[in-house]
Amino acid sequence: MSAEFLKALTANRLGEGDVVFWSGGQWVEQFADAELFTEEGPAEAAVALAKAQPRIVVDAYLIDVTRSDQGVAPVSYRERLRALGPTNELGHGKQALGGAAIAALQAASGAARSTGRLDLIRRK
Amino acid sequence: MYRYDAIDKEFLTDRSNEFRHQVGRRLAGELSEDQFKPLRLMNGLYLQLHAYMLRVCIPYGTLNVAQVRRLAWIARTYDKGYGHFTTRQNIQFHWVKLRDAPDILDALAEVDLHAIQTSGNCIRNTTSDPRAGATAEEIDDPRVWSEAIRQWSTLHPEFSYLPRKFKIAVTASAKDRTAARVHDIGLALRQGRDGTLGFEVMVGGGMGRTPFIGQTIKEFLPATRLLSYLEAVLRVYNRAGRRDNIYKARIKILVSSLGAEEFGRQVEEEWAQIDAARADLPDTELARIRAAFIQPGLEVLPAVSDSYEAARGANPALARFARNNVSAHKAPGYAIVDVSLKAHDATPGDANSDQLEAIADLAERFSLGDIRVTHEQNLVLPHVKQSDLPALFEGLVAVGLATPNINLVSDIIACPGLDYCALANARAIPVAQSIAQRFLDADRAELVGELKIKISGCINACGHHHVGHIGILGVDKKGEEYYQLTLGGSGAEDASIGKILGPGLNADQVAPAVDRLVEVYLAERQGEERFLDTYRRIGMTPFKEAVYVDAH
Repeated sequence: MSAEFLKALTANRLGEGDVVFWSGGQWVEQFADAELFTEEGPAEAAVALAKAQPRIVVDAYLIDVTRSDQGVAPVSYRERLRALGPTNELGHGKQALGGAAIAALQAASGAARSTGRLDLIRRK
Repeated sequence: MYRYDAIDKEFLTDRSNEFRHQVGRRLAGELSEDQFKPLRLMNGLYLQLHAYMLRVCIPYGTLNVAQVRRLAWIARTYDKGYGHFTTRQNIQFHWVKLRDAPDILDALAEVDLHAIQTSGNCIRNTTSDPRAGATAEEIDDPRVWSEAIRQWSTLHPEFSYLPRKFKIAVTASAKDRTAARVHDIGLALRQGRDGTLGFEVMVGGGMGRTPFIGQTIKEFLPATRLLSYLEAVLRVYNRAGRRDNIYKARIKILVSSLGAEEFGRQVEEEWAQIDAARADLPDTELARIRAAFIQPGLEVLPAVSDSYEAARGANPALARFARNNVSAHKAPGYAIVDVSLKAHDATPGDANSDQLEAIADLAERFSLGDIRVTHEQNLVLPHVKQSDLPALFEGLVAVGLATPNINLVSDIIACPGLDYCALANARAIPVAQSIAQRFLDADRAELVGELKIKISGCINACGHHHVGHIGILGVDKKGEEYYQLTLGGSGAEDASIGKILGPGLNADQVAPAVDRLVEVYLAERQGEERFLDTYRRIGMTPFKEAVYVDAH
């Protein structure tokens, strides 16, 4: 795996619980639309902005993202599941949208622990 | 079944209004997440991977028709059309929105249901035998005592902030269907030599990262002294249980470190100081609760139904269902029916709204309106006339709920796992499905007989893997899902903690490994031995060799 800095910012919407991703000051539903941070400074700045929106989202954290031939995908399996939905009900969650971006996420492999989420659990 | 009185109903309405107010303040930004989170958890609302999850309490796994219909309606209106029954006899909704939660609690309260004490460091839902009041095996109706504990433990001011969560199970039959020995307190009803009722009190059982079998600290507690004795146990735990380390905070760690004998001595000392007249249930109150559980409407019937016998003889599918899902009832001419939520392509413990409504209709027609939830994530219709069994079977077939696999290899406990749970390390549901798929041949499954497979997606062990005849624990190995198999566990009256088979397996290797374990059992078993009995007789080695043969 390359040492490239590549992260996305994720959270859950407060009122609904839906998984969302940060994109240029907005929260978007699909990982494919997420802003990718290639430097730590802007990534941390986005985290700070997210934490200043406690009425909109909860549990904001950065996730590691990787590039492959299929496209970009979260490194950790847990984060890919969050971006897709449960594997036992393929009609539930974001994967129901279908399309190339979802297929790319479903095809992504490789794995690592979800470092962002581990930090979150530790903070709790 | 027990009915809430006016005070109970008023309390639930108040509580629901209070939560609506709290949610409003959170959404308006008047409460921070840190302030709000404990409040939502006190109402059973968790934030999981994809959405909020609401865990609804089902006291000792007992539901009436109106309640099941309401659960179906909630699933359809506020979720994605299904609910998930848990190993604590509760139901969870996995796609709830915070904004909707107050409306859901209102809808629950209208049918005497709620989500109180389904989270947090308090006394959780008291679980019991799903066959209570229907089986001839029981010494007394355990629901009576479970209800007494429910009333005593609900919002108990002294025990609302324990070192950690606290789970009690009550069983009244020699055959334990409650996993009593892996609860913080397991209560087993016993009959004294003089005919009086009492409890064997087991404490310090539990699973999680440090599994223990509960130890008996009192062989025979007079039943009328139950609440004062529970108070003494909880007081000793509340005082001496560890609050410095969440992993050492359960009562099992305290009992283990003190020793059961010393723990029991401290309980006796505390008990002696409690004013029994204040703490114990008055006879009149016990009689009032007991009266609520007298089952009306059981008819006097011949022991055998000729029409049922004929139908069973003519219909092999009904005969198979009868062999696996139908048990003796205490009343002649009646039967207890287990409804499996483990169809081969299903998610263990899930029921959709159509199925829930069908169950409510069938219970209304055929089971005196009584529905039970088992800790093995199935349902029970406890009072079915034998003569109604063919019609009931057809009704179950129509909604995919007639899977004839109770206690068989595909009747698997599985937690929601990484597909839903924020704590999980690995998925549990697809592993259960892959095993069920491998044992699709119903004849072979019956040949194998009782085999309890239990799968947890993390060490917290919600899927009871420690007490599976074959236990499967999902672990995160450098970010990949791996599965650790254990053999020889049991959550029943012969309780034991399973032992690790060998190195972890990847997801695709689990079902073939189970198949090899089963083949060893079939080759080695003697007489009527179950898988567990054969394992206990011959030990780990032959099983281990079969699974890891390719590794050598």
